[in-house]
This record gives sequence, C-alpha cells and structure tokens, in this order.
Amino acid sequence: MNTIRLYCRSMGLQIRSQLQYPASFLMQTLAQLVMEGGEFMALMLVIDRFDRLNQWMPGDLFFFYGLMSVTFYLTECFGRGITGAFPYMIRTGQLDTLLVRPRGVLIQVFCSAADPRRIACIAVGVASMVLGSIQARIAWSLPKALLLLESIAFGFLLILGLFLIEASLVIWSVKSVELTNTLTYGGRSACDYPIDIYPRPLRILFTVVAPFALVLHVPAAWILGKPLYGWPAWAAFLCPLAGAVSFGLFYALFRRALRHYRSTGS
Amino acid sequence: MRAYWCVFRMRRRMELQYRGAALGGFICQLFFGLILIALYRALYAGKPQAVPISHISSYVWLQQAFFRMLLATDPDLADKIRTGSIAYDLCRPLHLYTYYYVRILAQKLVGSLLRAVPMLAVACLLPEGWGLASPAGASALLTSLPALFIGLLCVSALENITMAFTMRTLDPRGMQALLNMLMMVFAGNILPLTLFPDSWQPIITRLPYAQLLDAPIRLYTGDYAASAAPGILLLQSAWTVALAAAGLLFWRVNQKRMVVQGG
Amino acid sequence: MSYITVEHLRKTFTVRKKKDRGFLAREKTTVEALKDVSFTVKQGELVGYIGPNGAGKSTTVKVLSGILTPDSGAVRIGGRVPWLERKEHVRRIGVVFGQRTQLWWDVPLLDSYDLLREIYRVPEADFRRRMNELSEALDLGSLLRTPLRQLSLGQRMRAELCGSLLHCPELLFLDEPTIGLDAVSKLALRDFLQWENREKGTTILLTTHDMEDIAALCRRVMVLGHGSKLFDGALEDLYARYRNALPVQELTVQYPNIDHVIAAMYQELGL
Repeated sequence: MNTIRLYCRSMGLQIRSQLQYPASFLMQTLAQLVMEGGEFMALMLVIDRFDRLNQWMPGDLFFFYGLMSVTFYLTECFGRGITGAFPYMIRTGQLDTLLVRPRGVLIQVFCSAADPRRIACIAVGVASMVLGSIQARIAWSLPKALLLLESIAFGFLLILGLFLIEASLVIWSVKSVELTNTLTYGGRSACDYPIDIYPRPLRILFTVVAPFALVLHVPAAWILGKPLYGWPAWAAFLCPLAGAVSFGLFYALFRRALRHYRSTGS
Repeated sequence: MRAYWCVFRMRRRMELQYRGAALGGFICQLFFGLILIALYRALYAGKPQAVPISHISSYVWLQQAFFRMLLATDPDLADKIRTGSIAYDLCRPLHLYTYYYVRILAQKLVGSLLRAVPMLAVACLLPEGWGLASPAGASALLTSLPALFIGLLCVSALENITMAFTMRTLDPRGMQALLNMLMMVFAGNILPLTLFPDSWQPIITRLPYAQLLDAPIRLYTGDYAASAAPGILLLQSAWTVALAAAGLLFWRVNQKRMVVQGG
Repeated sequence: MSYITVEHLRKTFTVRKKKDRGFLAREKTTVEALKDVSFTVKQGELVGYIGPNGAGKSTTVKVLSGILTPDSGAVRIGGRVPWLERKEHVRRIGVVFGQRTQLWWDVPLLDSYDLLREIYRVPEADFRRRMNELSEALDLGSLLRTPLRQLSLGQRMRAELCGSLLHCPELLFLDEPTIGLDAVSKLALRDFLQWENREKGTTILLTTHDMEDIAALCRRVMVLGHGSKLFDGALEDLYARYRNALPVQELTVQYPNIDHVIAAMYQELGL
C-alpha cells in the first residue's frame, strides 16, 4: 500500500518538475505528436495503397497499431525510470543514491522518472484504436473490454521486462547494448502489424522470447473476432500472462546482474 | 584548409571509438530492414504494385545503409548551442558556416561509410526479393553515385540550416525532433517514397528531402530512367546551392545577433 | 563493544582496457581497491578517513553502506552485514555523497523531504519534530519552499545533510562534504556536525581532503593509501611522527598539507 502511495507521489513530483518549464514541455509534447503522427501517416498510406494485409482489413490494422502504441507509450510514460533513466543511472553511478535507501531498487528506479510528453503518442494510439474499432465494427462487450485492459496491463509488464535486459547488460558492461533495441523498439515496430505476416523465425522471436504476439495480438484478434494461431477463446484470456512470465524471468536476470554492480564514478 | 581536414580526422577517430556500440546498432538496423521487407512482401502478396518488390527491398537496404547520412545529430554541437559555449567557436579564426558545414559533412560521411559498407555487404548476400538487387545497369550505377554525393552535400546544407535555426530557440530538442521527423518521412526512410500515393509523387519528389537519398536510390534501381539523370542531378544541385545560400544567410544573421547580445 | 567492525576487507575491480589494435580484443587488468583493511569504530565516534585519490576511501564507504559486495573479509555494523541485509542496514544509516544529489532539482525542498519521509517510512509526528530540529540547526527555515536549483552550493550541502538525517540514522557517512564550499559555509557545517554528534550520539565517518575539517572535528584519523590502512590514531600523533618530512614552509602552518605526510609514508613503506 505504502509502495503504491510512494509511486503516486513520485509521479506527482515528476510531473510538477517538468511543468516548471511549460514552453519547453509544450514544444516537446508537440514534437512527440508529430513523430507519432508521422508513423501513423505511414500506416494510412500503406493502407491507401494496398487496401489490406492478408486477411486483415484496414480496421483490424488500425486496431493492432493502436493497441501497440497505447501499451508501449503508457509504459514509456509511467515506466520511464526503467525504459529510459536506468542505464544512465548505472553508467554514472547515480544508482548509489538509491542503494542507500531502505526500499527495493526496482521500485525506486520505477519512481525515479516519468515522461508525461508521451501523452501525445498515447493520444494518437487511442485515436487509431477508436478508428479501428469503428471500421472493424467491433461489438464491444464486458469480456472484450476486460481483455483489452488485461492485454495492456501485461503488455506494460512485458515491455518493462525487456528494458530490464538492457539494464542488466549495462551492469555487465557489455558494449553492444544497442542490440537490445531489436527486442524493445524493434519488437514495437514489428508488432504494430499482426504477427502472422512474418517468416517463422521472427514469429518465434515475438512469441517465445519477447511474446508481444501472446500478450497483444492474440487478445486483439479475439476482440476483432478473427482467428490467430487457431487458439480457442479461453486462450485469449490466458495468453497475456506470458507478459508476467517474461517480466519474472528478466527480473531474475537483473537481480543476478545487480550483484555485479560496481558503482563507477567517485 | 588544414584546419577543416583536422575536424574530419577527429570525427573519424571518435566514431571508431564506439565500435561495440556500432556493432549493436548495426545488427539492430539489419533487423529493422528485415522487418520492413517482410511487411512489404506480405503487402505485395495481396496486391502487387507497378514497382517490383525487388526495387522495394533494394530501397529499404539503401535507406538503412545510409541512415546515418540522414540522422546523425551531433550531441556535442547541440550541447554547445544549449549551454551557450558556442560563443567560443565564434572567436575562432575560421569561417563559421564552412567550419560547421565540414563538421556536419564529416560526421555524415564517416558515419554512413562505416555503416553502409557492412550493411550493403550483408544485403547483397540475401536472396532475390529480400536483399539488395544489382543496379538496373551500368548507367544506373554511374548516375546514382554522383547523385548520392550531391545528396550528401545537400543534407549537410539542410542540417546546417537546422543548426542555425535551433540556435535561436532556448531548448532546441523539440524543434530538432520536429524537423528530423519531417526529414525521415519525406526522405523515404519510414516508407519508401515510391509507395506514397501516385498523386503525391510530382510534389514529394521535388522537395529537397527527396534529393538526399530517394533520388540516388531511384536512379540505382532504375525507377528513374538513365535518360532522366541529368535533370535529376540538376535539381539536386539547385537545391543544394539554394540551401547552402539560405544557411549562409541565416548564420550571418545569427552571428550579428550574437555579437549584439555580447555572446 | 565496537559498533563497526571491519576485518581483512578486500575488494578488487577488473578493468577492461581496449588494446591499441584489434577489433574486439580487450585486455583485462585487476585493480586492488582494498587489500586487507581492518578497523573498528565505537558508537558515537567521529572518525576522519583520509588518503589520496584512488586510495580506496570511496570503496570502503560503498562497502560499508551496502552498495558494493566485497571479495572477502567481514564487516559488521550494529550486528548487521551491510550487503546481506541491505534494507535493514540502510534504514539506520545516512549517506551524503559530496558530488551527488538525492534531492529533486525543480521542486521545493520540503517536497523532496516529504518523499524521503515516505521512502524511510518515518511517522508523521517524528518527521515534523525532526524537521523542526534540523531546519533550525542547519538554518534552512526560509529555504524550505525554494527549489534546489535556486540554492547556492553551501545551502545545497546543508539541504543534502538535512535529507540524509531525516530518519535519525545511527551512522552517517560523509564523502567530501565541504568540497567547493566557502569558509563561512564550512564553519557552519562543522558546527552542525559536532552538534549532531554530541546531541544525538550519531557515529560519523568523514572522508575529506580538508585537514582543517579533520582537525576541527575528528579526534581520530585513519589514513588509507594504495588500498591499505597506513595510520590509525590521533591527528597530532600523525603530524608529530612525520614532522621531519614536512617542507619548511609548511611547518608554520597550523595544519600542514597531508600530501607531504602521505608521501613520506609511501616512502617509508616502499610503495
């Protein structure tokens, strides 16, 4: 309970800090909107030229894209500590100040940053989802709404977990940490589109290693009333749990790495 | 002249220092290229287009290979602007526009060469329709190389304007992100310009952004016939000169302002 | 019964150096940051910990505060092993890193402190009492509603100290607290540390380069060099022992530069 309150208060401070510079904040939020808008425009142009993608109609594609965007940018907004600030804290030794406090390291890192500018990207994602939902004529029901929330929540965990890999590699002072971007940002880009368009190795990667397909695509397909991988309906509710499993595994990896933390800097 | 050459050498040394990071970045970009091509192949399977898929895959690889030519922000330079220590440079006995032009050019050239050579080597090994196809002909290759070089000159001129422009704002990050996005979209990095709606083509191919990579790539793949090459090279050169002139003007105004403000 | 016991502490770092040639080849070298350091500290002591850069001071502090795990050796602080019971341990200690801030840059100090209260789970009433006490002792009253970025260096260090002491730690580590401060701020800081040590019985371990700090605050100094303890005793004894090593111009100074003493020690030990 206390932990949740700590997180909420930290986020409050974060947002207040950033609003100290309103002009800069506004400008950067606008830039985020343009960036995400550009990606979205590319999707619209693709749909304009090709009409459909295998069995997926425009509405489906908008919905997939929106779900991914909302999940990813929610994570970047509220989990910025882990998706952005963490590797920097390890490199500079700033992590020391967290280690001398009687709280879990991960919780404190989680509390240490927020990125409210991402609200612009989330808005684009929501717009895409709404557009997709209208075009695909989704008949919303309580189970579908619940599944959507479940999918986003476990997607959040999955993405945090993937970013923990980067943090772990930084501790082990692996030089090619950019490699982890293939899983995080690469996964994000690839899984904007339904997974079944990719060749088998990529499908395996995004089902087993970074299970975006299980966490986001299977539920999305069920909500859209389309089959994916031929899973039965109950599986749609079970699949997102893969996000929690991934998070657990990558968290264990991170715990092991933390023992090697060497606190660079003076 | 020697001073400018030194800037060049220093950049190369700096780039080489981060080999580990470069390897990670390289593999990551390879991955992005594969994803994009897989996507376009799936789209083509449903509705083939006038531009063959092999041109699209070549387009993607060439964009990936020369990615650093488009987007390689110099963090030192951006920091200098933000902290105001750019004032030191104003005291140097160098022609400021040329100094920055060389600096930007060096970074883009060295960065993209280090990235392009291995990327193109890997892309050539991939099977037909996935990898980089050979050029449409000898004339296609011969015209695309000078086009690429003019593209490099053009993008450096463009970035120098961005630099001058962001010097005027206190926090350049927002503006830079905005201009970068514009560049990524209209240079064809996010989606090949050949796949933009046909009705847009007359406009977008004449924008300066299309002169950077799109024009050389289309000459390479044969989307532009070799006979059209002189006109394209002319257009590229015209934009380069225009952008350089605009940048020069912009820097001069900035410099005057800074002198007035006393740094 | 000693409060801190350190026995045969060892810590090595492996440093990967890039070779001049070769694409991915790296040389590995081992650096011994601490080789066999032992000492004890009693509750309520105020100990100075000095030595040149790279002597292992920071490493010791980091091991003692639970940030680093040593290679071998035993450490007990109030009966606990720092790196094994990190949370239990750090609840009872306070750390001030001279060059790092634990406070928020853009929000008023009071908000930072409020968040620290949450982190350390300090009861509201205790927090208010302690806050009053500290803000008076550190003269922070008027600054509490100011964001950190608007404070001077001296004010900032006082604010940091307040943040590290809010939860009434039994043990305080100070890493170069007076670096860059002017004379007035230094004096104020020393007065405060003495007050805290006397009134609260807080054990304080202070690393610094400033001999005046040491002379004003610490009865006992430990000198560290090349990862080993070179001296442990009173400051006057240290100077008395190495008086001959001091250059003439330093003899008239009340607290001569410690570098000469350390150089003499190195020579003596053949380091």
